[in-house]
Amino acid sequence: MSNKRINALMIESSRCMGCQSCEVACKLEHELPAGPRPVKVIQIGPLQTDNGLAMRYETVTCYHCDRAACVAACPTGAMQKRPDGIVFSDPELCIGCQTCAVACPFGVPELNPATGKIAKCDGCRDRVDQGLWPSCALKCPSGCLSFGTPMRVVNDLRTREALTIVRTLAVR
Amino acid sequence: MVQYEPFKRVSGTRQDFDRQVATVCQECTVGCGLTAYVKDEGIVDLQGREDHPISKGRLCPKGSAFVQGLAHSQRITIPAYRNTLTRGFESATSWEQALDQLAERLRRLKDKHGAESLIIGCDPEAGLDFYLGARRFARLWGTPHVYHPWEETEQATRLAQELPVSPSSEWIESRCLLLVDADLAVTHPVAFGRVLKAQGNGAKLIVADSRYTASMSKADLAVPIRPGSGNLLGLYLLKQLLDEGLEHKDAIEAGFEQADNWQASFDRMVWDGVENHTHVTREDVLNISRFISSKHPVTVITGKRLAHSPDFGIWRTLAAAMGWIGHPGGGWYPMDAGLPRVHPDTDIEEPPPENFSPRLAPFPYQNRSGSNEELLFQGLIGSGNCLDDFFLPVRRQSPKMELIVHFGAFPNETCQQAHMVFSAAAWAERDGLCWSIDRALQWAPRILPPADASHSGLGFWAGLAQRLGWDEFFPWIRKDGRADRFEFYRWLLKRDPQTASCDLSQLRDNQDLFFWTDKTEFPEAGETPQFYTQNGRIKPVDAPELPTAEDSDIDDGEYPLYFQSTRIVTRGGDAGNWWPWTAELEDVDAIQIHPDTAGVLGIENGDAVVVNSPKGCLEGRAWISRMVDRRMVWSPRRLEGDHVLLLKKGQSADEALNLLKENTP
Repeated sequence: MSNKRINALMIESSRCMGCQSCEVACKLEHELPAGPRPVKVIQIGPLQTDNGLAMRYETVTCYHCDRAACVAACPTGAMQKRPDGIVFSDPELCIGCQTCAVACPFGVPELNPATGKIAKCDGCRDRVDQGLWPSCALKCPSGCLSFGTPMRVVNDLRTREALTIVRTLAVR
Repeated sequence: MVQYEPFKRVSGTRQDFDRQVATVCQECTVGCGLTAYVKDEGIVDLQGREDHPISKGRLCPKGSAFVQGLAHSQRITIPAYRNTLTRGFESATSWEQALDQLAERLRRLKDKHGAESLIIGCDPEAGLDFYLGARRFARLWGTPHVYHPWEETEQATRLAQELPVSPSSEWIESRCLLLVDADLAVTHPVAFGRVLKAQGNGAKLIVADSRYTASMSKADLAVPIRPGSGNLLGLYLLKQLLDEGLEHKDAIEAGFEQADNWQASFDRMVWDGVENHTHVTREDVLNISRFISSKHPVTVITGKRLAHSPDFGIWRTLAAAMGWIGHPGGGWYPMDAGLPRVHPDTDIEEPPPENFSPRLAPFPYQNRSGSNEELLFQGLIGSGNCLDDFFLPVRRQSPKMELIVHFGAFPNETCQQAHMVFSAAAWAERDGLCWSIDRALQWAPRILPPADASHSGLGFWAGLAQRLGWDEFFPWIRKDGRADRFEFYRWLLKRDPQTASCDLSQLRDNQDLFFWTDKTEFPEAGETPQFYTQNGRIKPVDAPELPTAEDSDIDDGEYPLYFQSTRIVTRGGDAGNWWPWTAELEDVDAIQIHPDTAGVLGIENGDAVVVNSPKGCLEGRAWISRMVDRRMVWSPRRLEGDHVLLLKKGQSADEALNLLKENTP
């Protein structure tokens, strides 16, 4: 196991307002044309429930799996997993065969029609290597996306939840 | 208490860049700070400014996506003209030559049809200066027909100016936020981020809307209301609060004019038909009013749509009567009402033409006498895609008009109708003054120089005025032929006491914000706030004798469904329709239909459908969703008329109407 610092992208879908800032940020960062959407906001509902209608947004992107099926399936070695966990496709090696897209149980890899190569979340590896936040998380206005070590993001979530409960009780 | 240290977001770019420009996003009126990274006169990256007091580093999708429009292959960057609509456009040799030609064509139009045959439509994307320049030009030209969608919020601005303001940064202090007909998550996502933050801080969120919106999905209490009944809900809430004696008596006594008469009007108001008028039951009105009276302070955030009704001031009255005004996180926050008073034409002393009416409210296509007789125009100068947007009623006349001039950046539907086209600079290509809904003014330096022969709105009007002999009224032209926007805004701000103390140089050099109403000194506990009126009191809105909404729930004529059109989140103005990456994110041709209504008409998701109103029709693809009520149809595209008939393509109107009537419970 490498000592390289492992970071996680925390997606707190309950905070997502469906604004698609993350999608646009990703397109801008990776100069993607219409078509591939490495991060995607999916609207679910409104569904009829016992308490009226309910609707939420789910932000979905690559899970950067530990044993990534796309990496195992790639015939050219373009799809790789870095020591810090990021799964990315090297455009120099990618031949656009889309075997990874078939192998991925979540349908994440997509073809970039402009280059004929795979477009997939690369964890903003170039930004992360410079110590910057991934573009989607940086441009999320709702606070749904955050970035840091797993310990840090989980602690942050727990602390905020606890504070919300305390404040709600305090102002009741 | 645990001290929570928020995450430090690490911003910056990985791209090579020559220079950074700190400016203000102008896709909407929140006024978010952004940093653009520029290389070789192209934007290579964009980010929110973490130190910006309004947006704190946040940007919405529009604030990132606008770069797609700047170097777009179809962008209009030089003026063009044609003699008849059947011919293609010819490029002008220069901006100056095109203006010469326009001046000549306008002179002929005036000689033949008179000054008032010209109408001017200004869209927000063309900038404040296009609108202000148009007002000034029109005053000299002699036409009162200048229209801008911002005028819809004039009433809100006027009413809100008399109140101490609690900016959005203080919503975090609020105990409850009540959003009425305001889908901030879509129209102003960064501002909605503040709503969510307040909610995380324990505030309750109540959202009342006629559609199940993104904002409503986050509400602690969702209140579906009948379309167009938002203000009525305010009246009923206030009546309930007064009936139960939950109002803030001291605030009313100290702050209201003729409080007794006002209170008596609510005593006379009846509860009959409340559910029919608003779709909210009597019991729910009771629950909401008890709920909001138990929270203090409450901020009421109202959408632009409500401002059309004369009862709009009810929200100000409600906030004042409950004593929420004057407390951080409390009061009334009408959306898009942050523009200070401006007087772009009152210095012109030349005698106006006979019968000249300086302003024509509320819509230019309404006869000045107030009758419904339609005014006829022969000339139109319009920015953006006005004929397909807020000028739909004028569009019916456009095929017969002698001269249509399009000031814009894209070959949209308005451009297709035009005889002359003038290339407009994008907001990122012009220095300018921005106003924000928080009532702050900011100076926004341009990121890039204007593309080719593109000019700002002020440049357009000043150039035209020069050719008509009105140089002295438009002295803001520099030697290079471009408008001196800084001097223009400096002149404008000095013209009203509200903004005269604003030092524009300081705004520009220090990236400061100027709040044009002083933020209130919040009163001590037990004191009541002072309103900014001569006697320190405001005039409250009386309860109407009878609610003004129609009695029948559904118009049982030929158009039995409500129609509503609102903006979508990834597109602001017309330019958004040309952004290639974002085109796929949301379908502008979607027509939202309730599953029950779709079932009755045999419509499935994605089917081609037609929406007919008495004045037009709209084609699109069915999006079956419970976001709309079964009596409502929604689309991002505009259509004239509130009541419509929906049909599956190929279905006859009679067939659809019969199916709807037979199957509506």
